[in-house]
Amino acid sequence: MADVSTPTPAPGYAPAPGCLDEVFGAGGAPWEHAGTRARSLAHLGAEGLAAAGRRRDAIFMDQGITFEVSGGDGDRAVRDRPFPLDLVPRIIPAAEWETIERGVAQRIRALNAFVDDVYHGHEIVRAGIVPWSLIVSRSHFARPVHGVRPPGGVYCHVGGCDLVRDADGAWLVLEDNVRTPSGISYVLENRVAMARLVPELFSGYRVRPVEHYPQLLLTALRSVAPAGDGDPTVVVWTPGPSNSAYFEHAYLARQMGVELVEASDLVVREQVCYMRTTAGLARVHSVYRRLDDDFIDPLEFRPDTLLGVPGLLRAYRTGTVAIANAIGTGVADDKAIHHYVPEMIRFYLGEEPVLRNVRTHLLADPEQRAECLERLAEIVVKPTGESGGKGVFIGPAADAAALARQRALVERDPGRWIAQDLVRLSTVPTTQADGRLAARHVDLRPFAVMVDADDVQIVPGGLTRVALVEGSLIVNSSRGGGSKDTWVLEDADQPRDVAPEYVPPTLPEVRYGEPWHDQSQQQQ
Amino acid sequence: MTMLARIAQELFWLGRDLSRAELTARMLDGVFHADLQGRADAISVTLSWEALLLVIGAQPAESSAARASADDGERALEKATTRATRDDVVRLLTVDAASPASIVSCVARGRERARTVRDVISTEMWEAVNTFHLELVRRDLSAAMRTGPYSIYSEVKERCALFWGLTDRTMMRDEARSFLVAGGRIESADMVLRMLRASLPLSTGASVREMLDDGEALALLHAVGGLQAYRRAVRAAPRTASVTRFLLYDRSYPGSVAASVDGLHYALSTADTSPRSAPPVLRLGRMVADLDFRRRATVDDAALGSTLVQVQEELAAVDRDVANRYFAGAAPRAVRSPA
Repeated sequence: MADVSTPTPAPGYAPAPGCLDEVFGAGGAPWEHAGTRARSLAHLGAEGLAAAGRRRDAIFMDQGITFEVSGGDGDRAVRDRPFPLDLVPRIIPAAEWETIERGVAQRIRALNAFVDDVYHGHEIVRAGIVPWSLIVSRSHFARPVHGVRPPGGVYCHVGGCDLVRDADGAWLVLEDNVRTPSGISYVLENRVAMARLVPELFSGYRVRPVEHYPQLLLTALRSVAPAGDGDPTVVVWTPGPSNSAYFEHAYLARQMGVELVEASDLVVREQVCYMRTTAGLARVHSVYRRLDDDFIDPLEFRPDTLLGVPGLLRAYRTGTVAIANAIGTGVADDKAIHHYVPEMIRFYLGEEPVLRNVRTHLLADPEQRAECLERLAEIVVKPTGESGGKGVFIGPAADAAALARQRALVERDPGRWIAQDLVRLSTVPTTQADGRLAARHVDLRPFAVMVDADDVQIVPGGLTRVALVEGSLIVNSSRGGGSKDTWVLEDADQPRDVAPEYVPPTLPEVRYGEPWHDQSQQQQ
Repeated sequence: MTMLARIAQELFWLGRDLSRAELTARMLDGVFHADLQGRADAISVTLSWEALLLVIGAQPAESSAARASADDGERALEKATTRATRDDVVRLLTVDAASPASIVSCVARGRERARTVRDVISTEMWEAVNTFHLELVRRDLSAAMRTGPYSIYSEVKERCALFWGLTDRTMMRDEARSFLVAGGRIESADMVLRMLRASLPLSTGASVREMLDDGEALALLHAVGGLQAYRRAVRAAPRTASVTRFLLYDRSYPGSVAASVDGLHYALSTADTSPRSAPPVLRLGRMVADLDFRRRATVDDAALGSTLVQVQEELAAVDRDVANRYFAGAAPRAVRSPA
């Protein structure tokens, strides 16, 4: 319902045709929940936004909130750039968020059940829903953890989904991520930065806070730690400072107040994991690892690398150390498995999926392949085991040569590829360098923490990624995308609890140093 | 070695003024940030704008919006009121030169004191205070306020850190320095106690307040700049009682009351010619021991409220002792006998 009483406050703003714009509805009038926002933006003006943008870049550079961009394919040059936070936050009304929250939690529960099933009973295979041959051929299928059940049956301690909205406004799931979803640090930092840069935009909105995430994660990590003597020790395991997400690893360790370790800090003795400290070896109970299975233990995976902690997997199997996410979860977020998630939800949970999948086609299937190759120019083709937008082919943006190349790739190894229908992603007004607003496409990555097998908590909002180039559908920050602070609004129907009357205590009078002369005179 | 009582008093208050400016900036930044975000539990942060004025001891100018809200409880209007109040308080405590509680007033006073004791402090320290003051005067603070006061607060924090860093690096470790440091420490302890008391009125005797939610405790930690320290030291969710204990007792956190009292005790026992018979030093010695004892002994959260009151009363007594012993009887007005 567009609020028609408000005049269009964004001159020159043109929503992209055929897409939903989340602020300005039909006729250019803002949607009901966005009216106040549109007025604040108009009040701030292009100059105000441009000035705030300059302050933002300066603050982010000072704080070292940067990321690396590669100039293009093959170009290895990487530069530190301030993380591109757009100054127009995205608003998600309470009712819409309720659906997303339920839908994401449901998926994570189903994916968790699937991982358990893959390494134990194979129920879903026996029921004829997911073929075993597909499961074992996934690159992240982990044979060494067959039969290993982590504490509480929790595998996907931290998860996320990439959601998009189609032209009708429906939320669709593009991808699941239950390995090491990244970006939560930007969600938290974005909020802090927005409150500092453009406090006036918060006026008139009650935004649900996100800052409790580190505490939530710490609680989850502590709860899976093997019972032991007193306080469990939790660590964050990073591949090292050269990793592109090192900022996030350090951020989470700092926010949780735990050690940030590298492989060389960890050692396994008699199937127990320790870290090397100035006071000798100290037991580690719970490891939040931010690297792939392959680099965990050279004795079990990839004997060709020296990365990892020898013996860690044996300690894990013995149950003396918890690893989050559990080893082998990658099999569940493979893009070919994604296709089966709605079926998993019905099978494991006996529920109907709350969120639909973006239509996904398995190219290993001859029929689907033939159909997809025919309309290659209209669809998106993705490699199954990759992340970060690597190797993604977008039909409508490809020229004849690229089409031919992609066709050859698919035909050579169809099992490595899936195809998805192209979704006309929704748009949100986004500031340009001169402060003017333009419609840019967005997606949303909510973050979930699984506290136990029945309790999945979703941080209100998540990372909204935005394509900064007109018409572009590629939102990955490694490929020129930016991000937006994402506001989930408090339920307006739910009256704000009345704060108890503030009864101020009687404090002693505040003193100011009296000038010396007054004092010496008064004493006389 | 001895020094002029007048100079000692100026140094003591130079330390206090700068410390107050810094803590005010941190507090405003913390509350400002918490205020912008709705709370899931929807009980507004108790470390409210109202409480802030109390901490600083400033009088609110009654805004028109505040008057309007008295007659009209409309929701929309209430929003406008909160907003107006926030802007009023932020302005009053940050840039209002007419308000003695504002940051610019604290810095202006500090600069006058530093000018008076130019010969005692190092040149670099004087320049640090002077450029700090000039920068605040020169800068278009109203414009900075419009775009959000964050930039002002971060500058205040940096400049104060610069001053104390230069003190450590360039000033003789003599009596003069002791009084300067003592001023900084007593102010820091007092401000933290005020903040704790204003935001967590776990009142004496009255029924124990329900455990407050994470959000409030987080705001409080933000407001003293101790969030990361807390997370490293305590490693448990910030709840009111644990945060209060941390800010009161944890010596390893430099902003805690216990650490400030330690510092104050050390500074005065170095400065005093006969510390063993000096009332402020003796009283501080008892406070140090008492805080340590309470840290170990107190298990009852209900007692925290009265502990805060007692510690603050003790600190006020130290303040009087200091004035009586070192500043030629220039005691605080509260206890001064009528002239």
